[in-house]
Amino acid sequence: MLSFILRRIFQSVLVLLVVGLVAFAMFRFVGDPIDTMLGQERTLEDIDRLREQLGLNKPFFIQYWDFLVRAVQGDLGISYRQGRPVAEIIAERLPATLELALVSGALALFFGIVLGIFTAIRRDGITANLVMSISLIGVSLPTFLIGVLLIYGFGVGIDIRIPFTDMTFNTGGMPTFGRGDTGEIFGWTTGFATWDGIQSIILPAITLGLYQMTLIMRLVRAEMLEVLRADYIRFARARGLGDRAINFRHALKNTMVPVITVTGLQLGSIIAFAIITETVFQWPGVGLLFINAIQFVDIPVMAAYLMLISVMFVAINLIVDLLYVFIDPRLRVS
Amino acid sequence: MNRLMTASLLALATALPAQAETFRWAATTDPQTMDPHAVSSAPVLGFLNNVYEGLVRRGRDMSIEGALAESWEPLPDGAGWRFNLREGVTFHGGEAFTAEDVLFSYQRASSEDSDVASWFSPVSDVVLVDDFTVDILTSSPQPIFPDSIANWMMMDSGWAAENGAERPARDAENYATRNVNGTGAFMLQSRQPDLETVLVPFDGWWGEVEHNVTEAVFTPIQNSATAVAALLAGDIDLIDPVPVQDAARVNDADGVYVLDGIEARVIMLGFAHDHETLLNGDPNIFADVRVRQAVSHAVNVPAILQAIMGGVAEEASQLVSPAMRGYSEALSERPAYDPDLARSLIAEAGAEGANFTLSCPNDRYLNDEAVCQAIVAMLAQVGLNATLDAMPVSNYWPQLREDNFDMYLLGWSPGTFDAEHPIRFLVHTNGERLGTWNFGGYSNPRIDELLPLIQSEIDDSARQAMLDEAAQIIQDDAVYNTMYVQPLLWGVRDGIELTQRPDNFFILRWVTVGAEN
Repeated sequence: MLSFILRRIFQSVLVLLVVGLVAFAMFRFVGDPIDTMLGQERTLEDIDRLREQLGLNKPFFIQYWDFLVRAVQGDLGISYRQGRPVAEIIAERLPATLELALVSGALALFFGIVLGIFTAIRRDGITANLVMSISLIGVSLPTFLIGVLLIYGFGVGIDIRIPFTDMTFNTGGMPTFGRGDTGEIFGWTTGFATWDGIQSIILPAITLGLYQMTLIMRLVRAEMLEVLRADYIRFARARGLGDRAINFRHALKNTMVPVITVTGLQLGSIIAFAIITETVFQWPGVGLLFINAIQFVDIPVMAAYLMLISVMFVAINLIVDLLYVFIDPRLRVS
Repeated sequence: MNRLMTASLLALATALPAQAETFRWAATTDPQTMDPHAVSSAPVLGFLNNVYEGLVRRGRDMSIEGALAESWEPLPDGAGWRFNLREGVTFHGGEAFTAEDVLFSYQRASSEDSDVASWFSPVSDVVLVDDFTVDILTSSPQPIFPDSIANWMMMDSGWAAENGAERPARDAENYATRNVNGTGAFMLQSRQPDLETVLVPFDGWWGEVEHNVTEAVFTPIQNSATAVAALLAGDIDLIDPVPVQDAARVNDADGVYVLDGIEARVIMLGFAHDHETLLNGDPNIFADVRVRQAVSHAVNVPAILQAIMGGVAEEASQLVSPAMRGYSEALSERPAYDPDLARSLIAEAGAEGANFTLSCPNDRYLNDEAVCQAIVAMLAQVGLNATLDAMPVSNYWPQLREDNFDMYLLGWSPGTFDAEHPIRFLVHTNGERLGTWNFGGYSNPRIDELLPLIQSEIDDSARQAMLDEAAQIIQDDAVYNTMYVQPLLWGVRDGIELTQRPDNFFILRWVTVGAEN
């Protein structure tokens, strides 16, 4: 077990180093930060001096090496755009992204499993078929569009006339952007501390989680259908066990292994791909920070973000591998 | 006791509406720093104009008026300028403003790490005559020097020294990056970079208060669709900009209106004047003045304005817009749209069917890529085959600097609001300090001769005559094909009154929040 973990950690570090190298090789194609950093009235001398100062005239692998040397000492550099330490900026922005990812992950997992079981058990029911059809929206509409539709539907609002009266009802009222008021709980800046903050997270969480929910729902449904056809379920029925025991104690448990794999990996991609949702909702997380960094060619921020995301993916993979061992006793024996 | 409480509660209730006037506004970019000398960009300088002040400032019509200087006059023989400072001005922290602070702010703003040092290139020395009189000496006569320092903001020397912010920092954080101690009408209450910046009025401000804002909250919103939604939902009182394509819809919506105006930025096409060949190896057709003139006649600017700019932009006949000082009245007409003339000029030059690349940014100016697409189609009609190469601006400037273009799109907003500015940067022969944005390599000895004369001419009409001459040369040589002045579109909630200035600076002290109806 220990050697397994050590081997995985060694592999992870290797992956990280390669990601960093590729990232630094790509930065040149993103553009040149000098022009965005200096004003209109810069002289050629200013350009050369700043390039020298930032070390941008060195080959990319040397820049990468400098970055690594400083990073292992805990110094991620200074943002070109904000002129502040990158580590501090990321620490400020990370809670927003993690909160959004966890809430949308929880929503996706809960509704995905519940609806998946429902559509599997009532395979031919009208409601189940309706849910399956509507869920196509989740996989087919781009996140950007879902976000904008939600903002217009529930933020700006649409006036709906109540039948037989002259009164109208406005569907809006939800915050249209941002994280709302935040408070501190045990030193963690969170939106859950205020009602405004809780309201603010709803629309972005739905936007971000819809695709994952659909995915989990379809996966649970397919797995359930597979398991329900298995021999041991037939024997269980023959033994006269109740529906509840069969569906939940036996069938559901056996569908969980692939669901956990997918959910784990999806949590990583929820964090990584929160970029679009964060941009649409002006959600102040690391994704929005990354988009800003690309536009400005803020190399220290881009490098730190990419490293952070790869650390996260590698860590999640490791945890998922360990969870397998925990859930499936057969793996423990070998 | 009970009655007293009721009375005070009543008083509180009636006083409340007049009290709380929170004003919320949003723009695409966050000011990257609160340091007035570290970054010379419109979002930063525009924002900081609300909290810091200079010796002079610009009024609602862009004219120069006194701020921390009450008056100023040129020193004899063009040796520089004398500024008489306003007495009794205090910084937000309570320190008195004196000539010492002017000297300190000069040293700070002209230091190597400053991004605004170029404003002080003609300055040879700053001399303190007494506590409230400062002489700024220049190496040559500088008639428009007061105009050029309207954004040079004063910082308290004691505060800066105490907090270790004597110099602007570029590769480290410094106290002034996030803290402010100015003399402006508003103070910084809190700042979360990229998220929210809150300003409150400064009670000790020297000027006459015209606004009724008690708290102003700035939020950057990058996505324009989100910003429009936030305005329509009433979460934001002002957004800058409203996308051109949404302007009509916002204007029709209840409770909001669009305030439009003309920016100082002129959008133009530049050419590869001094390239041996085009990028594809063909002979350089743009070395021939007839081809450049043909391009001016081939581009149908009124059609671009109507179809792509929503009819709110204005044609530009020269490198600056009419609102700028030194605008050439004699040249107020842009070369007319005349495809037949363009075709015959091209035929004369033997450039029919020439293939070349039009380089264009796709995230820098309003609808820049759409404008370039339209230009490609218009050029095709007169027999020039342009291929569009559109890219993000972070790749665009390096490409231009490396001469990877045949024809390119450029926007220019003169920092000094004077016609001399674009001549200095866009037309003068390309060099270390002058002509630094003259990517095409145009060179004309007469222009190079005129520039220093214009810079040091004290007499207004003699100066204007030289600017007119330069503008005429630029048009005759078709150095640039100037097309239009970019529009400004702000979305505003009803009941809010404010002033929109062509430099797109948002000045909070001109905002009044009225009843919503």
